[in-house]
Amino acid sequence: MSGADVLAILQGAVVTVTLSLVGILIGLPIGLALAVLRWADVPVIARVVALYVSIVRATPLVTLLLLLFFALPNIGIAIGPVSAAILALVMNTAAFNCEVWRAALMNFPRDQYEAAQSVGMTATLRFRRIVLPQVVHVSLPGLVNEMSLLIKVTPVLAVVGVVDITRAAVRIGAETYDPLPPFLIAVALYAPIVFALVSVQRWIERRQRIAEAAA
Amino acid sequence: MIRDFGIVWSERDLLLSGLANTTILSVLSAAAALVIGFILTPALVAKQRWLGLLARGFVDGMRCVPFLLFAYIVYYGFPSLGVRLDNWTSGLVALTIYNAAYMAEILRGAWAAQPREPIEAGIAFGFSSAGLFRRIVLPPLLLAAGPVLGNQMIQIVKDSAFLTIIALPELTHAASSIQSRHYVPFAAFITAVFLYWGLCLVIEAGVGSIDRLAAARR
Amino acid sequence: MADDRKVLDVAGVTKRFGASEVLSDVSFQVAKGETVCVLGPSGSGKSTLLRCINWLERPDAGQIYLNGVQIGISGGGLVMTDRELSRIRTRIGMVFQHFALWPHLTVLQNLMEAPVQVQKRPRAEVRDEALALLAKVGLSDKRDAFPAKLSGGQKQRVGIARALAMRPDLLLFDEPTSALDPELVGEVLVVMRELAREGMTMVVVTHEMGFARDAATRVLFLDRGRVVETASPDEFFSSPETERARQFIQRYAGEAANGRRAMASR
Repeated sequence: MSGADVLAILQGAVVTVTLSLVGILIGLPIGLALAVLRWADVPVIARVVALYVSIVRATPLVTLLLLLFFALPNIGIAIGPVSAAILALVMNTAAFNCEVWRAALMNFPRDQYEAAQSVGMTATLRFRRIVLPQVVHVSLPGLVNEMSLLIKVTPVLAVVGVVDITRAAVRIGAETYDPLPPFLIAVALYAPIVFALVSVQRWIERRQRIAEAAA
Repeated sequence: MIRDFGIVWSERDLLLSGLANTTILSVLSAAAALVIGFILTPALVAKQRWLGLLARGFVDGMRCVPFLLFAYIVYYGFPSLGVRLDNWTSGLVALTIYNAAYMAEILRGAWAAQPREPIEAGIAFGFSSAGLFRRIVLPPLLLAAGPVLGNQMIQIVKDSAFLTIIALPELTHAASSIQSRHYVPFAAFITAVFLYWGLCLVIEAGVGSIDRLAAARR
Repeated sequence: MADDRKVLDVAGVTKRFGASEVLSDVSFQVAKGETVCVLGPSGSGKSTLLRCINWLERPDAGQIYLNGVQIGISGGGLVMTDRELSRIRTRIGMVFQHFALWPHLTVLQNLMEAPVQVQKRPRAEVRDEALALLAKVGLSDKRDAFPAKLSGGQKQRVGIARALAMRPDLLLFDEPTSALDPELVGEVLVVMRELAREGMTMVVVTHEMGFARDAATRVLFLDRGRVVETASPDEFFSSPETERARQFIQRYAGEAANGRRAMASR
């Protein structure tokens, strides 16, 4: 494996991480919106969201990706590999995040919400000033956990031709007839990223535990 | 669209064999991973430092590696070691080793949360170590860890889909094959999605009944 | 027609939870400056009545008027929107049994939050008033502390200050001392007595007989969702009219006496 090969894998890594970030950035607020829809129990829509979350959480990312990449053009929507990848990542992230957000919303102390009502805060104010800050705080470890899980499934994007880590590694392996080293390098790139995220999550959890114990 | 589903229906044998492969693969690797997990967990909490570090290194390592890449490494790595494995076996091995790490972590957490007194009572009543494990330690442990193990099971089912990459004829691979031959991508993959969903619901129902068993005994 | 000389006019309020009727045809009025204590055994519907006043619970029948304006039903006869309800709620303060302070805000921020965000009053003015209120309840030094660091009695005093910061026409107290350790009850009752003395219009649901006896202008006795008796505290405690009231007082008579002794020793 030459230096150029390693560079190719690195470039693939950049693509992977970028797509993951896009997926997370878009999926996070969508997940929150979905969770709020269920929390507010909006008629019909809450049920639809519950169904969507249940199905997407049960679907392997590779299957979802293939579905979007092949099926959408079939019904008239043209979509390229990168867009399909982002869409699959966003749908996946939103569904998993939704559950993290929802757990925090469901466990939100009722009397704090009533206190906000009793001083005359409107629904928007109640949500923005009282509910959201605390829900973000509580959801943080779970959300970081989901991020690390998301990064770990991104190698599958190669399946639809996104030139990410996997594709680069496969190509090099095919060219050099030595498939193992590029994959080992790919793992060596991934592992620290995931490890960093897991460490951040543990740090957040530890800090929150200490804060609670001191109270 | 109806015609498309008709085509998928005509290929149902392929789809069902894919589903069977997914199910068998998942169940086998889950069981094997659980057994290995039971061996790993004591190593995780072992008094000998080197053993604990080794086990912790393995568990944390598996947690940081994407399964797809790990499957590739197993698939391409074993031949380098001289062992020829077909894709089914290497898929099973990859799935098992990978999830053994997660099972060990789950069992460790469940074990730490278990109260000690019932076990001490068992010892006081004269239970030998084998009997103690089988009748006093294991049942409450599994009941408590039920939901988390169920989640891991679902994760295993989803990870199995990655093995389509190494041409293992599981469900996603079957759907892909039908799609590429008949050009019915929507019908084929939506069917696969609903089959995965069904599998998931079955697992959740199983966890639910274990949960009810556990609740009755609380 | 509502009597608009009264701050609060409750007429024929009924509330059902499922099959059981928790409040049945409850009616009473509160004039400005009155302190009305709502007493009764557990399950008599006291808290539900209070929560109906500011429509945290929605009454199934009856009308509630604040200074002549109906709460919950708009002029057109439709149920009020969240926005309309919020406007009315700014005029009613509520103190909760479990304090309900917002944990992510400091004590001072808790007080300032609603006046600034809801009433849109200028920050500096709100801050000055909040500091004055904290001084009034004896917690000036805690203004930058987070609620988690306070004792129960301190939290409740902050809760009272927070309700006062909105300059309400009416203050509702939902068992304000029930969640407190006995030695912390006194500091909260002191604040409440002071408010009553200053002429705040208050409706207090409580088990503190001593407070009811000493600080209330009127006592409302609720039993199984109905107003069984209403009288001045002296009349109620010395010569109750109904058997249920007699039983209730007898059970709590010891507490009332203890309450007085405890108050006297402070």
